[in-house]
Amino acid sequence: MGLVNPDSGSVSVVGQPMLSRASAVKQEIGYFSDDMRLYKPESIGWHMQFVRSLYPSWNDDYARELLTRFGLIEKQVVKGLSHGQRVKTMLLLVLARQPKLLILDEPTNGLDPVSRHEVLTELMRVIADENRTILYSSHNTQDVEQISDSITFIDQGRVVASGDRDDYLEQWKRIKLHAPESWHAPRIDGLQLESSFRSHRVLSMNRYREDLASLLIASGATVETIERMSLEEIFVSTVLRGREEKPS
Amino acid sequence: MNLHAIQILFLKDLFLSRRHLFAYFLGGMVSSALTCIPNKTISFVGFILMLTVAIAAGIHLIGQLMLAESSEQTRLFVMSLPVSLLDYSLGKISVVLTAYLIPWSTMFACSTILTFVLPWAKHGAVVVLPAIFLFLRCGFMVQLVTAVVTESVGWTICVMVACNVLLNVFLTQLFAVPEIAAAKQSDIVVWPSQILQLLTIECAVIVGALATAIVLQTRKRDLV
Repeated sequence: MGLVNPDSGSVSVVGQPMLSRASAVKQEIGYFSDDMRLYKPESIGWHMQFVRSLYPSWNDDYARELLTRFGLIEKQVVKGLSHGQRVKTMLLLVLARQPKLLILDEPTNGLDPVSRHEVLTELMRVIADENRTILYSSHNTQDVEQISDSITFIDQGRVVASGDRDDYLEQWKRIKLHAPESWHAPRIDGLQLESSFRSHRVLSMNRYREDLASLLIASGATVETIERMSLEEIFVSTVLRGREEKPS
Repeated sequence: MNLHAIQILFLKDLFLSRRHLFAYFLGGMVSSALTCIPNKTISFVGFILMLTVAIAAGIHLIGQLMLAESSEQTRLFVMSLPVSLLDYSLGKISVVLTAYLIPWSTMFACSTILTFVLPWAKHGAVVVLPAIFLFLRCGFMVQLVTAVVTESVGWTICVMVACNVLLNVFLTQLFAVPEIAAAKQSDIVVWPSQILQLLTIECAVIVGALATAIVLQTRKRDLV
């Protein structure tokens, strides 16, 4: 967002160079960060006027609609807002300018379940418009699973995996089985032993195939369950696999 | 450079400091009026109050307008708007300079007018006023450069303290010059050459500091 200049290379957003055309590019971007703060002595209405003066695309009717949906009062001073109200105010200021690209950094952090639902519902309305994109960064994989089409996992500043949400959920499976202590998992691409206790084994598979169960049975194991994994479990497995593969 | 954005940022900061600016404006008027009352104690209190208002306004405006946005995390909000680093920097410097101009010019104008208008005031005293007020402006500019370069409240306060100490030395030295002391007590306005030299130096310091602040702020690569 122009706060840090790159040491090398270039940044292009919505088809335009960020460095040389920062003002024009930012007309198309709505950025929200959990670290962002508004001016405490001023009201929500003042902030709306301030942002409106910089965005010709500002939609006043939509802004008022959001005020009602989020349960906010225009005259309310920022100083007296709760965390949830503050987040919703900032999202209102971002959404009402109708940007092509929304960059949201931890928008649901610290929100109560009702506020979280309100925020996610509004974001889903935004992505229903095919001309708009949300880049959503979060540690809350439940939210990510709920609203994302495409997901990238980042661990220690490094991209460890990237792909479609449905592919992740389809391809990743957890297999619980019984096998003799001398049993070794067959060499199948993507299959990895996660834990073992006596005859119980838990494996994860990131490239699920229909004949997996029969291959495991043929290797001498008794398959108990093959179940879908949640996005959080997929993330943890991906990161741990990545760390194991990474030379120390 | 986006002039519309700079203008909006400028007005936004001016609006956010409106209450303080009004207080400094009032403080400037009152202190200037006190300096002209024909009672040695009261006029001295007025003079001290005037310097205090000028110094306090400088400290507060630099702190509030230049440094607070970073510590209060509102800068991230502003930088998320369609403004470039250059727009932001130019907006900040111009609003700080303008905001300080309000109490500074109020006090300068009131003191000058009252010196001319009040029957008991010595008209000659008017020649020391620009020297004193430009010295205050110089101090403010040096503090501004410090705030721009370091973005540190600590360093800016150190420079403020140094400027205030120097102000005492400056006033003592100024009134110790026989020509200036004589001009100050005169009923007619006489401009000693020492005052003219001093004004030239002060103006040069102000222009130099302003150029330094603009160059350094606009050449900044990062705001975090």
